[in-house]
Amino acid sequence: MRQTGAIALNTFKETIRDRVLAVIVLFALLMIVASLWLGSISLGEEGRVMKDFGLVAVTFFGLVVAAFIAAGLIHKEVEKRTVFVLFSKPVSRAAFIAGKFLGLAVTLAVVVAGMGLFLFVVVWVIDGAPTWMVLAAVALIYVQLLVVVAVTIFFSTLGSAILASVLGICVFIAGQLSTNVLELTRLGQNALTEALSWVVFVLIPNLTAVDVKPAVVGEQTADWGAIGLWCGYLVAYVVVVLALATAVFRRREF
Amino acid sequence: MTGRLARRLALVVVCLACAGIVVAYQVTRPAEERRIGQPFVPSPQFFLDFSPSFRTTIADAYWLQTIQYYGEHVRTDQRYDRLKAMIDLVTTLSPKFERAYLFGAYALLDAGLAQEAYDLLGRGFEENPDAWKLATNAGILMYSYGAEDVKREVAAKWFEKAAAVEGAPLYVSRIAARLLGEGGEVDKALALWAEVYATGDKYSRAKALAGMDAILPKDPATRRAALERVRDLMAPRTFSELVRKLGAG
Repeated sequence: MRQTGAIALNTFKETIRDRVLAVIVLFALLMIVASLWLGSISLGEEGRVMKDFGLVAVTFFGLVVAAFIAAGLIHKEVEKRTVFVLFSKPVSRAAFIAGKFLGLAVTLAVVVAGMGLFLFVVVWVIDGAPTWMVLAAVALIYVQLLVVVAVTIFFSTLGSAILASVLGICVFIAGQLSTNVLELTRLGQNALTEALSWVVFVLIPNLTAVDVKPAVVGEQTADWGAIGLWCGYLVAYVVVVLALATAVFRRREF
Repeated sequence: MTGRLARRLALVVVCLACAGIVVAYQVTRPAEERRIGQPFVPSPQFFLDFSPSFRTTIADAYWLQTIQYYGEHVRTDQRYDRLKAMIDLVTTLSPKFERAYLFGAYALLDAGLAQEAYDLLGRGFEENPDAWKLATNAGILMYSYGAEDVKREVAAKWFEKAAAVEGAPLYVSRIAARLLGEGGEVDKALALWAEVYATGDKYSRAKALAGMDAILPKDPATRRAALERVRDLMAPRTFSELVRKLGAG
């Protein structure tokens, strides 16, 4: 536990100092500010446009941070050969993977919370009243991004950093379409295709289940009980993926 | 040494030339005639299937594009080939988007699609039973474009539905009564246009002003007297603004 904590703290310090991170956050804030201009041409729907585009900006830039920084976490250690020093000490592979994940999770929390609070304040100023759903939506975006971090770490134990980033982003996109895969399983006329669709459906994380963006603009009512359960499912998904990443990482010789 | 200096000079000349080309292009660009393109409007089902989490964001993006599309065409060729598809896309992806129904209905009127505009408002009120403005505007469209023998009753029913919504202003029920009661057609039309003016966006307010201007007497004093009959259908400040804009002050 102490090992994991130390690695997590070190990862947090390392990633939070990354200049790329600062540039991405700056871009995200600029995007949110740019939504103000879009709002001004929306015929009186400034608040709605701001919430919608602002949340997309938080998602998109959060995804960039999650996928690209997570992909480099393990590769940097290997390239700089620090991993050899680390594993010469009594540090388990599981502690290493868990520490890397937790460290980036904290960094991501800081980044997403910063962007989310900025959006919340801007929306408050425009609407003249606080929209608490914006904060709830940002928290749930964070949960989705944790899945991307875990999946990207898993892929980074298998292949190159770039490939891991791309696959992490692909899983995020696939996670938005998991209900379509379910439809495919129902439409299946061939037993093999149907079975394959089921496997894909089970493997892909259902990220839409915790998405409340439509609820933020009043398009639907959020079912918090169901969302809570789906968050539990995503946390379990993260644990499974990290366990797989550890299993793969154990097979590597350092 | 001379060779190095020449190379540097050449480099500077190339850089300056490139900068000149960029600036010249940017400066002359606005002067080029702007082509009005036909926006790509896929089926709403496509977005509902492939991006359920981002459906409202896509609706907003198309909402902004619809406003631009309408604004461009209303100023130029008055052709609105893609307007209905765009409005359908926005309201299908975001069925609670009240303003899209209101704006869409009046934009469809400009495209000569009165029945579609009326249907859109009806669909909007079904999706948003607490949006009284959708019902009042459906009543206005029915009164303006409906069949002569039923339009008053149907329009009044729309106003009664609107008045039944919690939070609807009191004057909505007054309009319903006025439609069913005695009085000239000019009075009824004036009341309906006043409602559009009091609750609409900038485009529908412009239409309401034009509509009232056409039916009101031209003499300022008589015009003011006629306008007094709609004073109780809107807020005092809105009424003063209306009087000023119609030159009846």
